[in-house]
Amino acid sequence: MNAIQNPVEPFDVDSVRADFPLLMREVHDKALVYFDNANTSQKPASVIEAVDHFYRQTNANVARAVHQLGEEATAAYESARDRLARLLNASSRDEIVLTSGTTQAINLVAYSYAMPRLKAGDEILITTMEHHANIVPWQLVCERTGATLKVAPINERGELIVERFVDMLTPSVKLAGVTHVSNVLGTINPIAQLARETRRRGIPLLVDGSQATPHLPVDLRALGCDFYTVTGHKLFGPTGTGALWARKEILRDMPPLFGGGEMIREVSFEGTTFADPPHRFEAGTPNIAGFVGLAAAIDYVQGLGHARLRAYEQELLVHATQALKTIPGLRIFGEAPDKVPVISFLIDGAHAHDLATLLDHEGVAVRSGHHCAHPLMKFFGVPATVRASLAFYNTHDEIERFVAAIDKVRKLLG
Amino acid sequence: MSASTLYQQVVLDHYRHPRHRGAVDGFTHCAEGANPLCGDRLRVEATCDGHRIVKVGFAGEACAIATASGSMLGDLVANRSSSEVGAWADRFSRMIESGVADDELGELNAMRELQRYPGRRKCALLPWATLRAALAGVDRTTTESESR
Repeated sequence: MNAIQNPVEPFDVDSVRADFPLLMREVHDKALVYFDNANTSQKPASVIEAVDHFYRQTNANVARAVHQLGEEATAAYESARDRLARLLNASSRDEIVLTSGTTQAINLVAYSYAMPRLKAGDEILITTMEHHANIVPWQLVCERTGATLKVAPINERGELIVERFVDMLTPSVKLAGVTHVSNVLGTINPIAQLARETRRRGIPLLVDGSQATPHLPVDLRALGCDFYTVTGHKLFGPTGTGALWARKEILRDMPPLFGGGEMIREVSFEGTTFADPPHRFEAGTPNIAGFVGLAAAIDYVQGLGHARLRAYEQELLVHATQALKTIPGLRIFGEAPDKVPVISFLIDGAHAHDLATLLDHEGVAVRSGHHCAHPLMKFFGVPATVRASLAFYNTHDEIERFVAAIDKVRKLLG
Repeated sequence: MSASTLYQQVVLDHYRHPRHRGAVDGFTHCAEGANPLCGDRLRVEATCDGHRIVKVGFAGEACAIATASGSMLGDLVANRSSSEVGAWADRFSRMIESGVADDELGELNAMRELQRYPGRRKCALLPWATLRAALAGVDRTTTESESR
């Protein structure tokens, strides 16, 4: 790993929590327990201050002004690209396209990479556990090209059935899309293993990294995939930030999706020549302050050290899972051995929304609903679940409060 | 704030023991109401004698708020004219948005805490919208398109 980390040093969650101003607030007169991190994460003071400082001291547009502020703004904005390249262990900063998030990143691949290559009879392979952001763009390009979408199944524990995925990598498959970590189940998919199979067959593999980067160290060179996406606001950065990573030779072959300023080399009414990647894909003025904040967020997380965070989060996962299992009638969805602290569950006789509203009364923020994964809900035969998703700033005490609140709510609804 | 101002006893009683539950023999009107984002799915069947509602029955899977709202609604609309249902639904909708009690709405006033829960109002409104759809001859409806 390239981050500063010392596995021997114990993880001091209290000092980490002090870095997150919002965690200090109360909800319904109770100390907040924020277990909705897979939805969006809270931001450390360093991120909030970076955004604030940018608007107070540096604000200017990027890549076009030669004045001092323009130079400073460009440097600050471009530093996010460097941080993302470092975070993902990319070969080059030019392989990082800055986007508004994973949804935009996947759509960019769907329309700029996949659509021009697809024809009737071709197939795209995804999995049952994908977020709608890794389903709907493919459906849209399939509609336009006559290609079809096929879906590799999962088992009852919420794991991808790797053999079935591999069997489905037939010659007609022109692209595969798999989430690195399931936003509902917490399952970590064996991306390196899948990528070996897709590469052997010459099929490009897109990995939705939205839920992975907040929890896992990601080494693109070890993973071996072809596209990887990042969502900034789940990675303790501002909303409206994210990235698409792809190898240079792939990006070079992709036409621009949006035209406008920033993405051109020369424009005339007879024709326009485009900038090289990654700027070719970054038309218009971007979320500059947001990316300045994202750079600070990545510095923050790498300063703590992903390996240390992962070890602590595993403790939280084990604790929460064991405690939830003591509650009568509670069913957990997603029991893969390799997962992050994201736990979906239901309780017999209680509707997910009632549970979430009543937990909110107890100061506990969880998400209820389908989590933008309708097909996965259908697989488990439920309309909705409650999802508790933890981050490294959550504590064992919060888990105890959460479980006590569930027990109270269960009795009320029972 | 009490832990269960919204989920007070009267709401929980209607949730645990909903009235106007199940199929209605020889129904004259029916509709499906579904909120796919929530996962709530109701079917209403109703018998009308001319314009008078004789019997209403709900079936399906729904949360406590939707279930209790449907149960209370059934009490309120029995023997009313079908044209009155729209007016009652509007009053109910106004009450949960304003949080101001409306004596005529009886037990439904327990739902006025929804004023503080914009995201859950669609749950309480689902049985109303479904019954209105049935009476208007519309097959299916949702309350999820309502802005929160």
